[in-house]
Amino acid sequence: MWKKIGDRESGKLRPNSFITRIRSNRASSLHLSNHKELVSSHRGSVNSLQVDLTEGRYLLSGAADASLAIYDIQRATDYEAGGLIAKHKPILVDKQHQNAHKYAISTAIWYPIDTGLFVTGSYDHHIKVWDTNTTQVVMDFKMPGKVYRTAMSSLATSHMLIAAATEDVQVRLCDMASGAFAHTLSGHRDGVMAVEWSTSSEWILMTGGCDGAIRFWDIRRAGCFSVLDQSHSQLGRRPPLADKSTTKVSTSKARAPPRKVGSGSSSKHSGNSKIIKQTKGSAKQRLHPGLLTSQDRATAHYGAVLGLKATEDGMYLLSAGSDSRLRLWDIQSGCNTLVHYEIVRLQSSKAIQLDVSQDSGVVFLPCMTSIKAFDMWSGKSKMTLQGHYENVNCCCYSSHDQELYTGGNDRQILIWSPLKQIPADVQDECDRSTGQPLAADEDNWSD
Amino acid sequence: METSNNNPSTSRKRSRSEDNSAPESNQSHSLDNLIFSDTMVALQMMRAQFPRIDKVSVEPFILQSQLYSSVKDRTQVDRELESLRREKVLRVFKLNTGQDDHALMFMEDYLKQMKRAVKSMETKKQGVFEWFEVHVIHSKPEPCIGHQELLSLLSLGGKVKDEDISLLINAGLLTRQLIDSEMYWFAIPNIGSVLKGLTQGRKELLSLLNRKKYKEMMLAILEKKRLRLSPLDIRFHLRDLLGSGHLKTIQTPSGLVIRVVKN
Repeated sequence: MWKKIGDRESGKLRPNSFITRIRSNRASSLHLSNHKELVSSHRGSVNSLQVDLTEGRYLLSGAADASLAIYDIQRATDYEAGGLIAKHKPILVDKQHQNAHKYAISTAIWYPIDTGLFVTGSYDHHIKVWDTNTTQVVMDFKMPGKVYRTAMSSLATSHMLIAAATEDVQVRLCDMASGAFAHTLSGHRDGVMAVEWSTSSEWILMTGGCDGAIRFWDIRRAGCFSVLDQSHSQLGRRPPLADKSTTKVSTSKARAPPRKVGSGSSSKHSGNSKIIKQTKGSAKQRLHPGLLTSQDRATAHYGAVLGLKATEDGMYLLSAGSDSRLRLWDIQSGCNTLVHYEIVRLQSSKAIQLDVSQDSGVVFLPCMTSIKAFDMWSGKSKMTLQGHYENVNCCCYSSHDQELYTGGNDRQILIWSPLKQIPADVQDECDRSTGQPLAADEDNWSD
Repeated sequence: METSNNNPSTSRKRSRSEDNSAPESNQSHSLDNLIFSDTMVALQMMRAQFPRIDKVSVEPFILQSQLYSSVKDRTQVDRELESLRREKVLRVFKLNTGQDDHALMFMEDYLKQMKRAVKSMETKKQGVFEWFEVHVIHSKPEPCIGHQELLSLLSLGGKVKDEDISLLINAGLLTRQLIDSEMYWFAIPNIGSVLKGLTQGRKELLSLLNRKKYKEMMLAILEKKRLRLSPLDIRFHLRDLLGSGHLKTIQTPSGLVIRVVKN
């Protein structure tokens, strides 16, 4: 470690690689934190966790008993065990509020620009926008079905749309600026469980449905422009340059417009759709070009898509399905990269929230009662984090401090962090709970 | 060490130690189940080791989970399978025996199996089977096909009616998908009893291990057992369950132990 610092000082090691090395070392040595704990006051399973995007300081959690909590994860409220363990109590808990949700909260996300607002979606068919400081509901959207996930784009500069994935087949976009619905995206054949905005464009939305399909939508246009198909695969991180045209020909089917349509190629899009209308003949009625992909029945998973996560560079997408598979997709080519992650089983009834650590390429996936950490490119399992007593629903990785927060059905939010060295003399002498030196015949755990 | 020839286990122990002088990896399951470096080698070994079943004549097929337990890197397996599938050396079939079960069959074996099934079906219209083989099998390497596409590919051979598709389904070459009425899965004909044996054999092996006190057993002892309900041998089931994650192997000083994974 000291040698590395010396190398960086002398210029032998670039600052970026120094940072990446330390971060990946810390990310590969996660354990149940021995110096930090969150006092969870939820009375129901924790369904959603998110660390805020601006400062990385506040953790927002939504639980099945309609309660929300915000924790300050960088400053502890009190310390115990003689200053060894920092306990963080929630700043805000909301259960008895008159405008609160009635049933379980399935998703709670921060407004991406600052922590003054947050958005929650619940099984009581409502999406509420809250003001953090006054704890008041400022906006309420009623959905036709249970809300499974909401998402807001962190790149958006020209819109403030909340994408809502519900048990209804249509994905709705709620506009926060006007308080009304902007438009709906139809194409899925069953409820939508996962929704995620693209990390490279503020107009592109990715949704995963219970029918197993993952669709890419450009919200400025009707219909989705791409449906991911698990049988379209490429052998490697990026498709080979030479055979791009040949694989397209061999795997293309007589259906909808080509995979990737950029923003400036709308003329090409309409040209193609005209050709397709002619070849389909009188058997097919004339469909709007944007709705042609609703005929596309390609599936990305053999079961429902439970969670989606895009990498920060906008090039890859991870999708977890109820067929117990995690797949890595190359967004640009729309192909399955065939990386195999060793998973035995995933819970199949609820949506799960997975996370990716960007620099080290580690994927954290909640698998039943443990969280597995995989290397993103090879699919090998690096660590299995066992700590929860029941199924884990959500996990959130904070790359600031290399800490992982996980919430499960056992109502606990656990923190996993690289171990902090506890000075040996402090550890031996004191009694853990009171910090007093131990009496000769007492144990740590006697009452 | 005594080598009395009337005790079979010690004589086997001897030969195993001789063989182990040149293993491919230090994680050998047993004499035969060495970890293979290549998917193609693994496929051919497993095809050669496919058990002979007396009542039903089935060409050798390999389950994808068996490959996962025999080759270390699963991503490499997936990618090599994909390239083999594209080259039309192999065909992949999705089985209905459980979550994500895929069977792999070499193209020659599949064509043999298909011909056998077609011969046993006495119908006049044998033409549709030829069209199926020539136009559909050779041009569609995927495990499933849509209704429209099937019709268009079959009509390259001649006039197709809906009864022809029923013929194909009756022969066992196609199955309808449960979730989507417009899509069909390709299927291996005459394999039903073997698949039944597969599911029952899995259950039997798992219950055998679950009944033990510590839910584990030595591999050497386990290999000698015969399953009552399955025509497939125990090595087949072991590889399959190891690859799908229900069982795991543990190295002990006295050999390999197979244990049930609890989650």
